[in-house]
Amino acid sequence: MFLRLVKESFVRNPRRKALTAAALVVGMAVATATLSVALEVGDRMAREFRSLGANLLVTPKADTLPLQIGGVDYRPVNEGAYLNVSDLGKLKMIFWRHNILGFAPFLDVPATITGKNEIHTTLIGTWYEHEVPVPDGTTFKTGVRSTHPWWKIQGRWFDDNAKECVVGATLAANYPGGIAPGQTIEIANRAADSTVAAQPISLTVTGIVSTGGAEDNAVLAPLSIAQNFSGHSGQFRELFVSALTKPADALAERDPKTLTPTEYDRWFCSPYISSISFQMEQALPGTEVRTIRRVADTEGRVLSRISTLLWLVTIAALIAAALAVAATSAATVLERRVEIGIMKAIGASNSLVSGIFLTEQLMLAIVGGLIGFVCGAALARVLGESVFGSPAPLKLVLLPIVLGIAAGVAIIGSLIPLRRAARLDPAPILKGE
Amino acid sequence: MFGRLLYKLLRGNRGRLTVALIAVISGAAVISALLNIEFDIGRKLSQEFRTLGPNLVIAPRGGIQTEDAGSASAVLMDQASVSAAVAQTGSSDVLGAAPYLYIVARVGDTPVMIAGTQLDEARALNPSWKLQGNATASGCIVGRNVAQRLNLTPGAQIEIQYVDRQAKMTVAAVLDSGAAEDGQILAPLSAVQQLAGLPGRIEIEQLRAKGDDAAIAAYAKKLSAALPSYDVRPIAQATEVEGNLLRRTRLLVGSMVVLILALTALCVLATMAALAMERREDVGLMKALGGSIGRIVAIFVAEVGVLGAAGGLIGCVIGVGLAQWIGESVFGASITPRWEIFPITVALMTLVAMTGALPLRLLGRVKPALILRGE
Repeated sequence: MFLRLVKESFVRNPRRKALTAAALVVGMAVATATLSVALEVGDRMAREFRSLGANLLVTPKADTLPLQIGGVDYRPVNEGAYLNVSDLGKLKMIFWRHNILGFAPFLDVPATITGKNEIHTTLIGTWYEHEVPVPDGTTFKTGVRSTHPWWKIQGRWFDDNAKECVVGATLAANYPGGIAPGQTIEIANRAADSTVAAQPISLTVTGIVSTGGAEDNAVLAPLSIAQNFSGHSGQFRELFVSALTKPADALAERDPKTLTPTEYDRWFCSPYISSISFQMEQALPGTEVRTIRRVADTEGRVLSRISTLLWLVTIAALIAAALAVAATSAATVLERRVEIGIMKAIGASNSLVSGIFLTEQLMLAIVGGLIGFVCGAALARVLGESVFGSPAPLKLVLLPIVLGIAAGVAIIGSLIPLRRAARLDPAPILKGE
Repeated sequence: MFGRLLYKLLRGNRGRLTVALIAVISGAAVISALLNIEFDIGRKLSQEFRTLGPNLVIAPRGGIQTEDAGSASAVLMDQASVSAAVAQTGSSDVLGAAPYLYIVARVGDTPVMIAGTQLDEARALNPSWKLQGNATASGCIVGRNVAQRLNLTPGAQIEIQYVDRQAKMTVAAVLDSGAAEDGQILAPLSAVQQLAGLPGRIEIEQLRAKGDDAAIAAYAKKLSAALPSYDVRPIAQATEVEGNLLRRTRLLVGSMVVLILALTALCVLATMAALAMERREDVGLMKALGGSIGRIVAIFVAEVGVLGAAGGLIGCVIGVGLAQWIGESVFGASITPRWEIFPITVALMTLVAMTGALPLRLLGRVKPALILRGE
């Protein structure tokens, strides 16, 4: 009997259900879309930040103080500590290896461009796009391309295996006669001694680089060339690392030594910049990993602000969706006051009437929620495509959440008018008042 | 007559209309707050990006030293002419500027790089610097690595020697920047100029200019016209990220505005549908008395329009407050209320409420005879 009543109500009067169903579909589509975008936003925005370049700097622990003015290093050549390139693959073996998006080693050598005009400068050895063997058998392609993406090049970057170089913009402009891509320069180690040959090497200039920093006064060449040139084969001095991190919160600010074991596990297993640098220090013994505050602070602050803002907006959209569904549910129940009056007049109890209506709303909620979820997934694709350039992946976890919201809101929306209807006297309703 | 009818209708259906009004007010509040944020977010984000530090560098042309170790023959700039040019061109474009003069001096037996700068300006230019100690005190700021190597803590005395001159200074603070400054001592510019015997000379000037990539490049052009003998170079690190983030956040907030508008319209639509059902008798009576359907619908549409406009206005006022709260809690700074939001929101809400009144169309089908008979 109960089921038949519900079935009849659906079959006989589909138009009456249309408004509630439409509200449910639209509301739940919005809920699905905003939730799937909001879940994705932090990660996408964090990736955006990686075009700021490196946020971690690795140096030897026992290094001397740098004495570099105008791109020229005044440190005695054999002073200071070096690190081994062969260890770098280990960085891709740490717990958060997938968050290490790139790294580039640097080796600075005081040098002189020889020829008819001698000029003092620094030869900086690094990688542009170099394949690093990882201990698990794979290789990882990395270099300044990922750690310093904002460096502007005119011409092209050097090939990591060729005798090529790029020249800093200031140096190129100030060199008597200028330096242009395609030219060949002769460069010699300024601090040549018994261990290093004084014989100049010739490099083909492939581009002019502009960085706004000390590199503008230097010559950048493949790391292997700088290593041979300085007699430090297989070594480097500084490593810039670009890592995908999570904005620091209260836990990340604390000293890992004071954490309880559970807190420590949570800290270790969160991609905070502090835990990633801790893991890097463990992988590369004898090093000190420092946070490049400029980049890391900006990233952390902006990221946490934007994601708070977007969560607030998402919550606003969810509330609007809930209100819309509740209002339409209320409206449909009110419309059927006459029906309720008849039911009560022929002896239906209040609980039976409520039961029939709530079952109806629940079925509507499930059907509408399902259709809304599908529409919302499509909407999330469109939103993700237009905002991030790639669609947000469909999260099935959201389906039960969305259905739950739909059912809850539809029932709450109809409860209020149902309770009012329960108090009604059937006689005046039937009379049409 | 029309006005009186409208007034009676608005008074007579208070309960229902309150529901619709609440929907319109909350919709308007959220939308005006979001629009306010959408307009202001560019400025807020660019403030956040100030932690990235300087984005322009003025350097001497021919900035290559031809002799060793901080010698006086290095190519330098004249501090007075640089700061005059910056002050003259950039009163509104420049957020901060700091000059630097570098020398390699000795503290005890250790050679250390000394950066002479205007400490207050340098700190304002680099909000990400983390200082330990009393940073406001006079004296020098010592980089973290230098402090480690020389065992310095805030309050210690150091003696800086340069060739045959020396200067005594107090360590005011220890600096952690994660960048080159960690290996330097930052000292007052005039003291370093005196020590080096280079009064009035600087090596580079760092600036932070306002605006996006194009604005910075335009300002750099203006500045290099004022300083023809020096080189002005932008540091392009932040601008791309800033632009992308801004575009994405705006797009997201904008699409949320559209979605919330649609949902508000739906809410009003539901209320109006219920209202239309209840009004059938009124309409029947009006029609029986000879009211044309056009006129009846006009009355109802006017009713809804008043609802939308009133709700929009009240919602706007709440929305400005909401925007302030969001600004405080998200950005830690209030958001400037924009007055153009008022007309936009009121117009949007009136439109939405009118759309919501579509069910009133059904009233056209009402047959007066049936209604009056009580069916």
